[in-house]
Amino acid sequence: MSPLNSGGESLDRHLARLDDATQALADAGDFGKQVKLSRVFGALRRVLLLPGGCAAVRARAARLDIAGLFLGTDWARPQILIPTLSSGSLRSTNPDTVVLETVSNLRFLEVAKGDYVHPLVSAEQAHHHLSQVLAINLSLLFTPPTEAERTQQGRMAQLSRELLRHLVEEVGYEKVLENLVDEIWRILRQRPIQVESVKQMITQIAVARSNPDIDLGAGGLGADRLISSLYGTTDACREDPGVEVYRARLETMDDSGLQYETAGFARSMHDTGLVSPYHAVLLRFLLGKGEYLLGEALGLSSTGRECLLCYHELVRKLIDEAVHVETAQSIYGLALMLERGILYQPPVAPALWRQLALQLSAYSRQRLTQAFGPDPAPHARLLSGMLSVLGLPLGIGQGDNPTCQSARALSMWAYNDPDYLLQTLAWAARDDEIVMHFEGDSISSRDSATGLATELPMDLDPLSLLVVPHLDRIYAEMGRRCADRDGDPHRWVNPEFHGWWSGRGFRINVDVATGNLTDLDEFLRHFYAGYHPFHNGNQPLIHPQPAGVAVTDSAARFVGWHAITILRVALDPQERMRVYFYNPNNDSGQDWGDGVVVGTAGHGERFGEASLPFEQFASRLYIFHFDPLEPGEQASVAREELDRVVGYVHRSWGATRLSTG
Amino acid sequence: MEIAETLRDMGVDVAIPIFEETVEWAGAINSVLMDNPRLFGQAMLLRDKALMKRRAQLGGIRVGIFEEAHERDDVIRFLKRVNQTLMKLDGDPNDPIHIKAFDKAGCLGHRVIRTPDEIETIPDDDFPVLMESHLDGWEFAVEAWIHDGKIRFLNISEYVTLGYSVFVPATPELEQYRPEITRQVERLIKTFDIDFGFVHPEYFVTSDGEMYFGEVAYRPPGFKVFELLERSYGFNAYHGLVLAFDPKTTEEEIEDFFPKEVVDAKGHSGTFGVYPRRRVVSRLSVPEETEDHEYFESHELSSPLTEKVMKRTAFGNHWGLLYFFGDDPYTLRDLLKRQEELDFYI
Repeated sequence: MSPLNSGGESLDRHLARLDDATQALADAGDFGKQVKLSRVFGALRRVLLLPGGCAAVRARAARLDIAGLFLGTDWARPQILIPTLSSGSLRSTNPDTVVLETVSNLRFLEVAKGDYVHPLVSAEQAHHHLSQVLAINLSLLFTPPTEAERTQQGRMAQLSRELLRHLVEEVGYEKVLENLVDEIWRILRQRPIQVESVKQMITQIAVARSNPDIDLGAGGLGADRLISSLYGTTDACREDPGVEVYRARLETMDDSGLQYETAGFARSMHDTGLVSPYHAVLLRFLLGKGEYLLGEALGLSSTGRECLLCYHELVRKLIDEAVHVETAQSIYGLALMLERGILYQPPVAPALWRQLALQLSAYSRQRLTQAFGPDPAPHARLLSGMLSVLGLPLGIGQGDNPTCQSARALSMWAYNDPDYLLQTLAWAARDDEIVMHFEGDSISSRDSATGLATELPMDLDPLSLLVVPHLDRIYAEMGRRCADRDGDPHRWVNPEFHGWWSGRGFRINVDVATGNLTDLDEFLRHFYAGYHPFHNGNQPLIHPQPAGVAVTDSAARFVGWHAITILRVALDPQERMRVYFYNPNNDSGQDWGDGVVVGTAGHGERFGEASLPFEQFASRLYIFHFDPLEPGEQASVAREELDRVVGYVHRSWGATRLSTG
Repeated sequence: MEIAETLRDMGVDVAIPIFEETVEWAGAINSVLMDNPRLFGQAMLLRDKALMKRRAQLGGIRVGIFEEAHERDDVIRFLKRVNQTLMKLDGDPNDPIHIKAFDKAGCLGHRVIRTPDEIETIPDDDFPVLMESHLDGWEFAVEAWIHDGKIRFLNISEYVTLGYSVFVPATPELEQYRPEITRQVERLIKTFDIDFGFVHPEYFVTSDGEMYFGEVAYRPPGFKVFELLERSYGFNAYHGLVLAFDPKTTEEEIEDFFPKEVVDAKGHSGTFGVYPRRRVVSRLSVPEETEDHEYFESHELSSPLTEKVMKRTAFGNHWGLLYFFGDDPYTLRDLLKRQEELDFYI
């Protein structure tokens, strides 16, 4: 009998060891705790793997917390913990991280149940945190460890699952589902291009619902809409019959029946941002019918319909080539592209024809196949990705790669200069090379050494997959050419890299040599003068402008510099001046601490935009561009307003950057 | 001396060395704090392995043959001389000799030399070194807390394999020598004039029960033996260090603090120093066999930072320790031995 299965006696013995180790930890002075920790971790690891281990550790959670288990880590301040990050911790290859996250959640459970009164977290907060942790890690409940997890985590993969089972028994599925559905809607409201992970979560809910052993209760009212948007959108596919059956049903329908179907799909698509595979079947079927039904199926307004009628041949060709069951999501991109009216820009329609006929290089085909599989063909995959990018310029995400500048450039071009975007795409996909110019010298992505990403990114949309590696290398090369200059290289790189409309004027509030804040007041006054409509003669922002922000975490601690695009500055529905911006990070809804919470919906944001009140945005800004020919008078900003912004800076990333001199 | 005066102004009574390199610092500071210049000389004596051996020899303590070497030729001559003494003929396998850096802690820089070719592998930086004849016997270490010239607590640490593993308290086979070991340590403190503090000597006991002195350190031992003592006896060995070093500690405080050796131990605890067995490793993987053993407590191994494993030079530089605790010293000993055959990095 292995010691793992020998039940109660073994658990008691290990618990005695745990208690002993905890006592030693509690007795040690603050400087000596580190030495005592490994025994506690060792004991915890073994107890948690035993049946009943979670409950036993939960009963000891308060003691462990007070003894100093979390000392010196983020877990020591439970009020700043972010549920989303738990999925990384629970899947960590470092067993100690898994143990910390597990004990921390068991501690939350004690707090939620009122058995442990924590000075920093209330029972309600704890409960809320746990239900979000459960929602985000739902897959751990329903699926056994994958082979990859097993090799990376070993038995620790089992430990995270034990934790979630224990949590869900106590918290209940009802709450979990509610949170999960909220989370999905929150992400979908940002209209990302890549929706695979969202689809997986929805599929899990659907699976859980059909499992009679799981009592989901009455929770998750919005779940129906999500599930149906993928698997049973309209009458003819309500019971998820499979695409073949659905196609056969379409054959027998008259026009009024088809119109009913088109309306159903279009409403669902524009409502959720998700496209059902059945929708692709319908759209392909409608290629044999008139323009009217096509327009209905895309849910077009009069603008989009005009565009469709004008370019009907091109649109039909695009549907025929790009829209398949596997690439159904591109229908939404197509619809929004038509709505944007960009086809009326003279070069765009011919560029799309070029893309339709483009021969992909062997390397491009291989990359696409590697990332997305062989069906449909790489050519179709790339076209579908292109439609998504043109329809949803703000839905581009950088994936899990340090390539925010490249993602930002792609988004900016899709938004402001689609012709140029299509040109770079053609170069990258056909020639495996992009050439850009920097101060008169040409830079080829082929000759440039490595970029910021050390590995080839794989978790991107099809267009980014091909273009980003080139842009990343060129961007890094431009940086290298500025290496010996005084000051921040973004001053020269940003305008050359992004396009003529990025201002050549440049301001930074950090001294590059020391990292200290410098000229903060002037910096802010200048930013107000350039961007704030009340201080710049009520001039709305004309072109998207690259800018740099100091990202902070939920405890307002500095995390890193990040590239964003300022899109507009306007009054929100509450009559508050807000900055609307694009964040290439995959989820813009972030808590930057000190009350600065980036909004993604509900403050007048358009799909994909992030927003902050002007003052709060200014407090995280460290780089912006402006047109040097404009007068650039310093704005007469009231002292109190300026002080509020400076206060935000000093309480967050600026706290350690106050120059002493 | 500025540091000593600063400390005295802050009200510090005594400096206690924690690492090998701080032994002479502490000695220098104490000679000022206690106005006793001989304390510095004593510390230097305990730092230099060659001086230390001579002093021991003068005090009538049995040591092996030893000599200092300043270059490789000295080592070759010593190797020949030792084997000549042992009446070996040409062609007989040599008895090995040991060489150690003068002033490094424990196993650092410790090598075993059997043939003249091996002498070439000693880096120039290591010279001068101390050379010693090899003593066949059972090597063990002692930790002794001394207050007012008397031993207040004496622990015997049993090595399972030198440089790999140690546990406390020792097996009854080794503990049977306790009275003789105590006499040896008493002679040692007399020879080195130690009134207060802590010594960590190493001895060999040969098959006929004779004790040979190896070396002595004036600071806490390696392999986290202090942690092991705390686990077994429940007292904080560093706390004990503070009490023993401080001449102002009263007799009662000392009496109350230290437990009775062996009988007061709750169990035996041991550590094993892990060294990767493969030349190329990618990650840490503690064998389930180890992790599931009832005696296993914890480990402080970290993930490898490089894939390539440096060839192990001399003894020492393990990648981290494993901790075990259990009731039976023989099970523990076998368990520690068994770890040598397992891979912790793959």
